[in-house]
Amino acid sequence: MKQPLRHFLLLLCLALAGPVAAADIEIHDAWIREAPPGAPMLAGYLCVLNRGQTPATLTGVTSPRFAHVMMHRTETRDGVARMRHLAEVTLDPGRQECFAPGGMHLMMPAPEQPLRAGDQVELTLHFADGDSRRVVAAVRTP
Amino acid sequence: MMKINVTTRVARRIIPVLAALWLLASCGAPQPPQLEGATLLQPDRRLAEFSLVDHHGEAFTQDALKGHWSLAFFGYTHCPDVCPNALGMLKRVQSLLEARGEPLPRVLFVSVDPERDTPQTLAAYVGYFHPSFVGITGQDAQLQRLTRQLGILYGRAPGGEGDGYLVDHSAAIILFNPEGHYQALFNVPHDPQRIARDFLAIRDWYEASR
Repeated sequence: MKQPLRHFLLLLCLALAGPVAAADIEIHDAWIREAPPGAPMLAGYLCVLNRGQTPATLTGVTSPRFAHVMMHRTETRDGVARMRHLAEVTLDPGRQECFAPGGMHLMMPAPEQPLRAGDQVELTLHFADGDSRRVVAAVRTP
Repeated sequence: MMKINVTTRVARRIIPVLAALWLLASCGAPQPPQLEGATLLQPDRRLAEFSLVDHHGEAFTQDALKGHWSLAFFGYTHCPDVCPNALGMLKRVQSLLEARGEPLPRVLFVSVDPERDTPQTLAAYVGYFHPSFVGITGQDAQLQRLTRQLGILYGRAPGGEGDGYLVDHSAAIILFNPEGHYQALFNVPHDPQRIARDFLAIRDWYEASR
């Protein structure tokens, strides 16, 4: 096969595979809590809805503003609050999972340049099927 | 003769009732308040000595609790979710009380991560929520002297970034009365309206009991 044709077919495959999966995922209400000055960690929240027919697995989040983004869940048992790392979050078909205060949240180290209410931060959500979705999170107070 | 007998009999029944009522009114303590979520300690618990440091670098001992009501939450500044939630919630409790023209209890944020939370770190952190909030830290042994008396638990857990760690900690809010004694506990979930109402009920009961 000639090189340009192979490239074309590869692009066609990507075009068919990528956007279809991406269209099935909806992300909304993304925001980052404005943190006290000097607070070493920030928390981010958002909702992810799987409109597809098959389960989707969120495997991680990245952002150009943060060295890394961790997925965590706060669990309060017997009055003790515990924060635990989540390797992935599975979204069943038709299901919505929300990262919200007191529950699942994104944890990021505060960037050197502090974020203030009104700032906008890009987050990219990565899924197990190789798909990824970008969303803009507004920094605000709850 | 007959008339006197009836009067005596009525008097015999009424006098003890009146006496009991008089006793209740004069020496009986007021009924404990009806609370929506708080757990009241009866009697309150006197604290054994402890020695911590506030965010100004000043000593913070049980004497610092005297003369005003205090609400204390135990957390750490590397905690991005639960702790800002709780302090934001306590700020709302204060706003609710302020709107009613009530004197405000002092809010204390006691760090259970003394290794990373210095008085300087805490000064910036608590001041963000309210200028009157007080950050407290200290040596681990002294911190435990306080938390053990209050039933507050904390301990390190793996996680966080790099070689960092997380801290599991009780999410309860402790209320100290103006004698500096442990008076009540607000367990999760925390609702600012309910906490404000329970605080006022406890304070009014406490004042009426003096």
